[in-house]
Amino acid sequence: MSDKRRVVITGMGALSALGATTRELWEGLLANRSGVRRVQRLVDSGITVTSGGEVDAVSPENVERDHEIANRAIDDALAESKRDAAACGFIWSTGLDTFQMGPEGFVHRSAGRCFSNLASRFSCPKRMIASACASGTQAVGEAFRLIRQGQVEACVAGGSSVMLTPFYLIGFAGLQAVAVDNGDDPSLACRPFDKKRKGFALADGAGAMVLESVESARERGAKILAEVIGFGMSQDAFDLNRPCDDGAGAELCMRRALADAELMTEEIDAVNAHATATYSGDLAEAAALRKLFANRWREVPVSGAKGAIGHAMAAAGVLETIVAAQTCATGIVPPTVNLHHVDEGCELDHVIGEPRDVNAQTVLSVSFGMGGQNAAVILKRGSNG
Amino acid sequence: MVYLVAATQEDDLAKVRAQRPELWRQVRRYNKPVQLALAAADEVMRFANDPSTAAVISLAPCQPGSADLYRWGHVVTSGMASGTLGNLRMNPTQTLHAVDNLAMSAFAIAHRNHAYCLGLGGAAGQAWCGIEAVHERLDAGPEEEALLMAGDQEAADDEAPGLGVALLFCTRAQPLQPSNRIVRLVSISRSPAIVDAVPHAANGLAALLSSIAQHRNGLMSYVVPPAHTDGFSNVIVSLEIS
Repeated sequence: MSDKRRVVITGMGALSALGATTRELWEGLLANRSGVRRVQRLVDSGITVTSGGEVDAVSPENVERDHEIANRAIDDALAESKRDAAACGFIWSTGLDTFQMGPEGFVHRSAGRCFSNLASRFSCPKRMIASACASGTQAVGEAFRLIRQGQVEACVAGGSSVMLTPFYLIGFAGLQAVAVDNGDDPSLACRPFDKKRKGFALADGAGAMVLESVESARERGAKILAEVIGFGMSQDAFDLNRPCDDGAGAELCMRRALADAELMTEEIDAVNAHATATYSGDLAEAAALRKLFANRWREVPVSGAKGAIGHAMAAAGVLETIVAAQTCATGIVPPTVNLHHVDEGCELDHVIGEPRDVNAQTVLSVSFGMGGQNAAVILKRGSNG
Repeated sequence: MVYLVAATQEDDLAKVRAQRPELWRQVRRYNKPVQLALAAADEVMRFANDPSTAAVISLAPCQPGSADLYRWGHVVTSGMASGTLGNLRMNPTQTLHAVDNLAMSAFAIAHRNHAYCLGLGGAAGQAWCGIEAVHERLDAGPEEEALLMAGDQEAADDEAPGLGVALLFCTRAQPLQPSNRIVRLVSISRSPAIVDAVPHAANGLAALLSSIAQHRNGLMSYVVPPAHTDGFSNVIVSLEIS
């Protein structure tokens, strides 16, 4: 790594079902609290899925909601970093097109147009990432790669998603991927790795990070929140709707991230899991992690955020990378909200019920997209020294 | 060094269906932009040394390219207005049409490709980011070949014209198929400019290929027409043709 530039995170912003700041996200997770709830407009629409991760900070009535949510997270990250957008590249995912009802009828909102509007205040490169649920993590990884190669000094990376609509809920229900409403406490809708899991809760959200070279951060006197040290991608090449049972594609991308970081598995202190709470997804992920850590798999704490914030699609990976950065900074691994009884086949060293202080300094954060794109990044505790 | 070794365009799915029935069986359930991108990719990968190890960079459609999905959007929003959503069930195939990385995933499954992949979204001018990514990846990454593919459609209508484009790059000098000339990708440069872009995933790459076909041997500086840029920059693709 000596001939490669080091890349650090100097700003973060998050809007999720747990609140409109990174602090609310982190404190909600530490409190083992779920922000997923029954959403009245979904109940009113009469569909079978009525729970989700709603972002309250921007009204659902706001037709510019996709821009607003993204810009709030971006502005928070830039403010924390004290960087100007014009001095940063922009590697971002705005997820999928949305189809909704507007004041004058059916409205198609293009994710590409949303990206172009968001990108207007940034410098090159401006890349729109499209890897389904792996997009947010890939955005962080691509920004890391570009800065490390010296192509750019700093980037804002992340993703945003506004998909908590009947259109997508009916679509994902058809794939049996989301938890349908059966009268349960809606905050329990998403139960990663649990015996009672029944799919994810769809969510809106946005997460943004400012990444820059360590030289740039030191020169500016910026506070270093964490360091990005590795990135890996892979494709399952197996099935459009489900991962291979043994998690081979997921394992491959994690091994690539480790190789990129020049680390051994023994040097990973904790894992921020994708943890969608789908039946096959959780089994495959657990299998991949057991293979990756071999005889150490009972000793590496694993935590996932989707039980608390739902699945924010293009934003999911970066929101979870923000959680991983907080773990690096504090050493604390938050619990997997709603995990009570680990399902057979999902055995790992799960953090259940309360946070665990293990002085974690190096964290692996992973995302696995529908269609089989897998992304992993490795973060390390930041140091201004 | 990065060389363009194969390139093709596809705009006729009826021909694909008639002449490549095996491919058609694989792609028939997808939407038209994805079918066209995959048909073009299938053609250029005949010239790849190993399709399973090539880096894959795929552009999502810029236009709302699935007529089925667009119709479904109307069904859902009408159902919302009339309060009759409860009984609606969406065909899972149509859910797939919404997925931004569908062509990349389908390609990976068909070619058992586990390599590095980059899906670029449906914003204007991402094709040039794709070429930049090819250059970066083949310069620094472990891959020796990279596929760049795109498909798009003028409108979300079954009859609307569409176009698929695929380009195969390699780190070793080989003649560009089918032209038999050596085409080296030298650089991509940008300068800031505010211009009127017309979002389309495939048109820009098709225009580049036409320009290469018409150019005599020697250095070529291809100035990307404003309509094919991202709206924020002038782009010049420099190539050496011999």
